[in-house]
Amino acid sequence: MGPTPLLLLLALPLAGTLLLPLMPAEVPPARLRSIAAVPGGLQLLVALLCWRHPPADLQLPWLPRLGLSLDLGLDGLSLPLVLLSALLTTLAVLSAPADQGRPRLFFALMLATNLGVVASFLAANALLFLLAFELVLIPLTLLVAIWGGERRAGAGVRYLLYGSVSGLALLAAVLAFAWLNPAGPAFGFDALRAAQIPPAAQRWILALLLLAFGLKLPVVPLHGWQPFTYGQAPTPVVMLLAGVVAKLGAYGLLRFGVGFLPDAWAAWSPWLAAAGAVSAVYGALNALAQSDIRRLMAFSSLGHMGLLVLALAAATPLSLQGAIAQMLAHGLISALLFACVGLIERKTGTTAIRKLSGLMNPLRGLPFTMGMLLLALMAAAGIPGLAGFPAELMVFEGSWTSFPRATLVSLLASGVTAVYAIRLFNRVGFGRLDNDRADWAHTRWSERVPALALTLLVIGAGLWPTALTGWSETESAGLALRAQPFLNDPATIQIASATTLSASEPLPS
Amino acid sequence: MTPPTAAAPEAVRQPLIPPSSHRYADVIHRLEAGGSMLPDTPENLMQIIGIYKAYAVPMDFYWRDLLYIAEQVFLDPLPAFKYFISQEYLDLPNSYAGDQSKLRIWRGGEKAHPELLEFMARGETGRMPKLLHHLWHDRINMEFAEACMQAMLWHQGMGGRFYDYLETDTYRANADRAIKAYFRVNPLMLGLYRLFPEMFMEQVKKLSYTANLGLFWEVMAPVFFEMSDIYDEGGFKGVPDAMNFLVNGIFAVAGRPIYHHVYIRGECFEIIPKSEGFTWLYEAALPYVEAVFYRTAPFRGTKSYNAQACQVPADQADFHYGILYADVFPVGSAGIPPTLLMQDMLHFLPPYLEDLYRQHKRGDADKLIQLGITFQRSMYNVTSAVIQALRCALLYPLDDTDPEHLMANRRFFEAQMDRFLRPEARLPQIQTQDYR
Repeated sequence: MGPTPLLLLLALPLAGTLLLPLMPAEVPPARLRSIAAVPGGLQLLVALLCWRHPPADLQLPWLPRLGLSLDLGLDGLSLPLVLLSALLTTLAVLSAPADQGRPRLFFALMLATNLGVVASFLAANALLFLLAFELVLIPLTLLVAIWGGERRAGAGVRYLLYGSVSGLALLAAVLAFAWLNPAGPAFGFDALRAAQIPPAAQRWILALLLLAFGLKLPVVPLHGWQPFTYGQAPTPVVMLLAGVVAKLGAYGLLRFGVGFLPDAWAAWSPWLAAAGAVSAVYGALNALAQSDIRRLMAFSSLGHMGLLVLALAAATPLSLQGAIAQMLAHGLISALLFACVGLIERKTGTTAIRKLSGLMNPLRGLPFTMGMLLLALMAAAGIPGLAGFPAELMVFEGSWTSFPRATLVSLLASGVTAVYAIRLFNRVGFGRLDNDRADWAHTRWSERVPALALTLLVIGAGLWPTALTGWSETESAGLALRAQPFLNDPATIQIASATTLSASEPLPS
Repeated sequence: MTPPTAAAPEAVRQPLIPPSSHRYADVIHRLEAGGSMLPDTPENLMQIIGIYKAYAVPMDFYWRDLLYIAEQVFLDPLPAFKYFISQEYLDLPNSYAGDQSKLRIWRGGEKAHPELLEFMARGETGRMPKLLHHLWHDRINMEFAEACMQAMLWHQGMGGRFYDYLETDTYRANADRAIKAYFRVNPLMLGLYRLFPEMFMEQVKKLSYTANLGLFWEVMAPVFFEMSDIYDEGGFKGVPDAMNFLVNGIFAVAGRPIYHHVYIRGECFEIIPKSEGFTWLYEAALPYVEAVFYRTAPFRGTKSYNAQACQVPADQADFHYGILYADVFPVGSAGIPPTLLMQDMLHFLPPYLEDLYRQHKRGDADKLIQLGITFQRSMYNVTSAVIQALRCALLYPLDDTDPEHLMANRRFFEAQMDRFLRPEARLPQIQTQDYR
């Protein structure tokens, strides 16, 4: 198939972004919400089409003197993330309230975010990736600062500051890629993959990349913006932030760090694994101490990003496959968690844990929403049969051989997820619901649809884990081969072969 | 020109005693004016009458089955079918309804109410064997009635002579005769009776309270049916009218005998004979109101009560788990098991109450809670009637001109309102219509 679908994947959100503000003022917000969901839905269909019929790569010169060209491509790493982005954008738009304030601008900015994220995943050129990466920052900052909670201005500014540093670091890294390439400046991914950058220079570039993508993920100690922003951002925005935008950081580490700087990555991987383990523990322990559901989810997300970093650091075929599975599973689960929390907040007016109790009450509570929240918490805790389990299993199993201590620590931290999940559910779901506070309407089916769709996907991915892992076996194996220098060493391969042969031979009597 | 306010001076009657400074002074002044604890609004009147009707239909089953258990099932060691009432008791003529009654309270028939019979045949699920209806709880929940009986048994000393009588030799001798007659052909149970006589005696006491409650509700069911009929005819003008109907009813049947007879192989054993002189008001109504409306017991739910942490009062008189204090959410709530009663009443709501519930809160989805709160309002009205009846019996008329007498009435009302000072009381909530 030709490259047209790749252009369509970008054209759809772009058209939505440009046309939505031009809609007549008399169109009600609920109708605008439906219209805004169309580009995401179509994008999802196109992405599914690309899965069945892979499109050809696209190369269009843009600013040749700068080395910028519209290089687009889809592979096993980017396709699942494009699917995830399209899906979560659609569901995030649908989870906006029917009376969304300033809907034209709101939905246009949501689609602009999608445009930036999808362009990042499709980019096969570092400069194009940088532009798309930077594009995400602007609409998200506006979304948080205009439609956020009481302290939205502070949250918006903090997100902008951290995002700017991340962007600057990425800009420096991309320029360094070009300048330090002995073969001459080039930004295409193929050229970067083939570049023989000296080890010392690789480490400088990797440091910049770690700063850029570590801020985006985020990972401890670069997480300062996350709990505050997640706590203040409106529900659809935080669904995108946690479900998709955070994955941009993981994707960047995988694509640029593991893919283009394998030597430096291998050299620093023990530290990265340690950072992952620290993030996992820090996130889990902080989640335990939170008194607000949104902040609890934010720290939970931070902990799970730690697992992702651990898997990337290990860079074995299984761990990288686990990392991709974790990106997808965490995207679905975190979006579901925030969708449920958004419903709770919309009905009760609060996310403060001490103010909520008895929401499982079948008559005056929010039993359906709480049921979905329970399932999402179970999935986050890695309960078998749900999406989190296969992903975490692969992460731990794949990382164990490389970093057993960091894996063990992360495993224990992951166990804490069950503790704060039960604590949260016990306080919010059970207990007494009295008439003084329980005076809210039940959730309508139209409000439940986004969370319900995510619930079904979380269950589906748990029962059929290939949905999480089957996209990227080839790519992750290739990346692992580059990131594990000993695998490229002929002597190692001989030893491994000899071991295999001797193991297959009968033991001497 | 004379201002209109001074144009027609009326002789305003000066109050003979100063206003009350009690926290519930408004309610006390209303009681002193002959009103109820429940404000007099058309909606309150509609709610309480509607729920009386919905309560009366299952109550018509409760009293019949309670008497069936006390008089026929008696000490059956495996009473699995005690809620499968016999046709004889289903047709048992109510003493206060039908042509045969000496004091006819309800103009309707004396047998089981037609809506009750229809529900017993079909339930919610449709026609199927009685056992399946029973197991599916698609039936009248007698567990609620038994919980009320147990509350009366357990709290004991609440006035009247009934419980004291259960400790007398006469009662023990009567119970002993009945036990031996009942197990005459069952040597195993007779042997157990010899070994553990107090256990059997305790069961008989329980059955005596079962009969007590059955006889109490035999009166209340026709009272509520009649109130519903009067309301449908436009008879009541306000909440005080409904309360006064109850007060008059209380006095009319106050002397109704309370007794416990057991029928064993066709022979009647009088465990508590009518000749003992126990009466409806003192041995049944007042203990019932105290035990069920005020006290009962903390029931198990998703919220636990930790007695060791003093979350349950050490003194039974301080118990406050009755409907007047109950949080009527059906999960994890205090008070009498509200879920079962609310479920029973749900089947017999009059159409105007169904319409009202549809207009508020979550409509049909939380009807169970809305009707529970209506029930709470209605029981505040019944309690008001009991308070007024007690005042009438023990103190002075409301229109008495002696300030000393009026102060005595005031002290009585204030003492009654003191019981609602604890934060769990729902008296403040029922003063507004927002509480649903």
